[in-house]
Amino acid sequence: MTEVTNVSERLSSAHLADASEGMSYLESLPRKVVTTWMPLTLILIVLLFPFYWMVLTAVKPNEQLIDMTHFNPFFVVGPTLDHISELLFRSQYPRWLWNTTYVSVLATFISLIASVMAAYAIVRLRFSGAQTVGGLIFLAYLVPPSILFIPLAAIVQSYGLFNSPMALVLVYPTILIPFSTWLLMGYFKTIPFELEECALIDGASRLQILTKIILPLAVPGLISAGIFSLTLCWNEFIYALTFISSTENKTVPVAIVTNFVDGDIYHWGALMAGALVGSLPLIILYSFFVEYYVSAMTGAVKE
Amino acid sequence: MTDFTRRTLIRSAAAAGLAGGTLLDLARAFAQESPWKPEAGASLNVLRWKQFVEAENTSFVKMVDAFSKATGVKVNVSYESFDDIQPKASVAANTGQGPDLVWGLHSLPQLFPEKCLPMDDVADYLAKTYGGWIKGPEPYGKANGKWVAIPVAVNGGYMNYRISSMNKAGFKTFPTDFPGFLELCKALKKNNTPAGFALGHATGDANSWLHWILWGHGGYLIDKDNKVSINSPETAKALEYCKQLYGTFIEGTPSWNDASNNKAFLAGDLHLTLNGISIYVAAKTAGAKGDEKMKAMAEDIDHALNPVGPVGHPTELQLAFPILGFNFTKVPNAAKAFIAFMMSAQQYNPWLEGAQGYLTQTLHAYDTNPVWTADPKNKVFGEASARTLPISGVGPLSPQAAAAAADFIVVDMFARYCTGQEDLKTTIKTAERAAQRTFR
Amino acid sequence: MTDATAIATTAGGRTTWERLRSHRDWLGFWFMAPAAAILILFLAYPLGLGVWLSFTDAKIGRPGHFIGLDNYDWLSDDSVFWGSVFFTCFYTLVASSIKFAIGLYLALLLNKNLPFKALLRSIVLIPFVVPTVLSAIAFWWIFDSQFSIISWSLVKLGLIDRYIDFLGNPWNARWCLIFANIWRGVPFVAITLLAGLQTVSPSLYEAATIDGASRWQNFRHITYPLLTPIIAVVMTFSVLFTFTDFQLIWAMTRGGPVNATHLMATLSFQRAILGGSLGEGAAISTAMIPFLLAAIMVSWFGLQKRKWQQGGDND
Repeated sequence: MTEVTNVSERLSSAHLADASEGMSYLESLPRKVVTTWMPLTLILIVLLFPFYWMVLTAVKPNEQLIDMTHFNPFFVVGPTLDHISELLFRSQYPRWLWNTTYVSVLATFISLIASVMAAYAIVRLRFSGAQTVGGLIFLAYLVPPSILFIPLAAIVQSYGLFNSPMALVLVYPTILIPFSTWLLMGYFKTIPFELEECALIDGASRLQILTKIILPLAVPGLISAGIFSLTLCWNEFIYALTFISSTENKTVPVAIVTNFVDGDIYHWGALMAGALVGSLPLIILYSFFVEYYVSAMTGAVKE
Repeated sequence: MTDFTRRTLIRSAAAAGLAGGTLLDLARAFAQESPWKPEAGASLNVLRWKQFVEAENTSFVKMVDAFSKATGVKVNVSYESFDDIQPKASVAANTGQGPDLVWGLHSLPQLFPEKCLPMDDVADYLAKTYGGWIKGPEPYGKANGKWVAIPVAVNGGYMNYRISSMNKAGFKTFPTDFPGFLELCKALKKNNTPAGFALGHATGDANSWLHWILWGHGGYLIDKDNKVSINSPETAKALEYCKQLYGTFIEGTPSWNDASNNKAFLAGDLHLTLNGISIYVAAKTAGAKGDEKMKAMAEDIDHALNPVGPVGHPTELQLAFPILGFNFTKVPNAAKAFIAFMMSAQQYNPWLEGAQGYLTQTLHAYDTNPVWTADPKNKVFGEASARTLPISGVGPLSPQAAAAAADFIVVDMFARYCTGQEDLKTTIKTAERAAQRTFR
Repeated sequence: MTDATAIATTAGGRTTWERLRSHRDWLGFWFMAPAAAILILFLAYPLGLGVWLSFTDAKIGRPGHFIGLDNYDWLSDDSVFWGSVFFTCFYTLVASSIKFAIGLYLALLLNKNLPFKALLRSIVLIPFVVPTVLSAIAFWWIFDSQFSIISWSLVKLGLIDRYIDFLGNPWNARWCLIFANIWRGVPFVAITLLAGLQTVSPSLYEAATIDGASRWQNFRHITYPLLTPIIAVVMTFSVLFTFTDFQLIWAMTRGGPVNATHLMATLSFQRAILGGSLGEGAAISTAMIPFLLAAIMVSWFGLQKRKWQQGGDND
């Protein structure tokens, strides 16, 4: 068996040095087109079409938007930057973008700290009841925001946080901590106990072990949890809608919807431009970290 | 005299800079006379609905500035879209913290009347000064016989139609009764220039036209003693009539929200619908900017009053915009002064004009506002306040009546029957059950 | 420092072990504190409050009185409520299964040796990144009854002669929402499964292939079993997100046409916040919990053959 594996390994490295799946070198080009590229293209088109539609709407002059007889709706004639400039210069968009960033980053940061500590305690300290606590944290995910926001609003009020971005910073971790803790738990499990025991014997404190040994080894996991959390915060709607009332404190998704719908008239161009500009920071972030993200999720499950 | 002042205002508003001065003088005068003296160092948080047209908000902002300068009260205004006002206000009412004043829609004050700042003094003062309240919107300001809010304006929804299509369908003037209306819709359908009315969860349009049809036949969700009375032969007639109408509609109306008919009408696919003046204004505005197609469209659009049903009197449902103060506010006098200021002739007249016909006055003194005569096509919208019934129909306006509308009980009843999901008996039974749940 | 002392005394025997043990609990408590504080203050407490509300007749702006199961009693013969239960389950079941199927397929495709790998992966994530409420508005337009680009294309191609009533017909509307949900959910499933696939050593496939295994056998006997833990995780989350979806429905249909597309979450919002019946809305939300638990149990235990994967399981 070992011999076979070796042979095939040699075979594969001879044919295609960096084949990530062992089978791919066996495929001929036409076969690959049919089995890989065609379905992939199809899925990508479907995934990207609504996005394309948003881009198109963002640059389409108003008169072309609802005229489908004279203008082919798939394209745009004489694109305009009006909508984007309306968004950037005639609204408080930069301000909303800043609010969103601020809230998301802070909430993510808080959640990561809390999750790292919780995950470490559950997996490594194994205090009595660790298992139960782990289960409870998982259950915390089952609570839908739509049931929580009326009682939460009362709580947010009583802490004097109403209409303050801090309200969101404190509430968002309830959505983020369960997932992050859970992901990091899987990650910490993969780190050998021996490392920790040695450090303990050398006189390191638990906190030192966590920051000096465990965390550096869990960086991909942190990135993964961080990106995921950031996305959830960035797109959150119900809480942001309920807890923030003044225009200048709003986050992007909520502010756009309130500001570019006048009664029964939708400012399509500006709405879509807002969606695009609002997503760009995340898209850029993902394009840098997607490989990390993928490998980090891997870490979370292998044991 | 009033008119003279107003014109001066408009002119100076155009010439910027000056406007502040004039408005400010008026505001100072008002501050002297006003029976409500704002608390020292007061600041007001106002939550209002997001404008229909920019001009309306522009004059609103000017008015707010003038008020601030004259009284020293700092005013913060936040805007929410129509659908988000109520959740926001609800949370504020429930938690006892939030904006001091909420300018909302429909029966918002009746959702939590005990949380509202009593407004009897303001309402009486305004009624005395400005010729009395118009009867339609009055109930929106009251709960249990006491004033809890001030109905600032009403948004009229009327028949929007294309003149050419109506003529082609064989009608010289817009029909004024239900049979004639049905004939028109049928003829429009035949010419492939169909009518269409929202049957989806459209807070404004769908509630408005379906209540009109229901009430026009004498059917009501609740009777005057607040008892559920939807299960009646009148309701059945209204449903039958509506189903016939539905047969003439453009496709897709069960999915329509408030924006759908605007879009379809402006694209030239829809030739008759119920809407505010927004379609016409949008066409006119685009036309003025040089869009030839829209210019022609605007010329071809006209408005008509809703036909009157078999009951023989108008049974419209128009959208009211009441403003309420919360009783937790620390500055009740500033809040009242602000409302009185808003409704004063010097402020209200130019503001109403800025709204270009979207909004209708609630006090008789403003019946002669020039917006209704400036363009003959605006005229019908001036009657919205006089012709509307409260959302509870003949029953008292209560939190439950507000809840029933928010839960789309009437809209869904019609939609179920029109789309053939349920037969007549079942659909009325379902609605009755839903109403009983709400009015239990 | 304190730790070092604890370790030093461990050698002392049973009593010190006891001390270490309690010490460990003490430490555990402190490590858990931040997460616990946030979750208790902002999650458990409001949840308790919400459940309590469901037994009262609370209205907005008015505290309720205890009315026992009255709210549930009314719900039990409310056809709209049962409709929402049906659609919530249907929506979750169908959307999650399709998301899983497409996501897995996409992950397998992306795991191949392709040029522009990183770029492809980033592109796939786009639907996940665009704010839901705004992509929902874009979908609302794509499915519009008069301006649908899909209808327009099909008419131009001569395949249909009138526009499809996407959101006006109950079943069409349901499928449109499911489609939009799948669109949004596939990237998360695909990218996470892709992560799982990368843990599978290529040599396993090669060995199997040389032993004469077909591609399907490869998948069935190597990929799938090795992927099971991550599939369980992904599907649990996917079911969760789908079950509690709100924005998509709210932006596209508001639960219409004729309540056909109400999820329990949107119905609860409509009744509690728009209608002002907090108690009843809370009852609908509370009623979600058993269904949600059941859905999650199915996806978790159904896929996860090993025991409950929690803190203690590698003791």
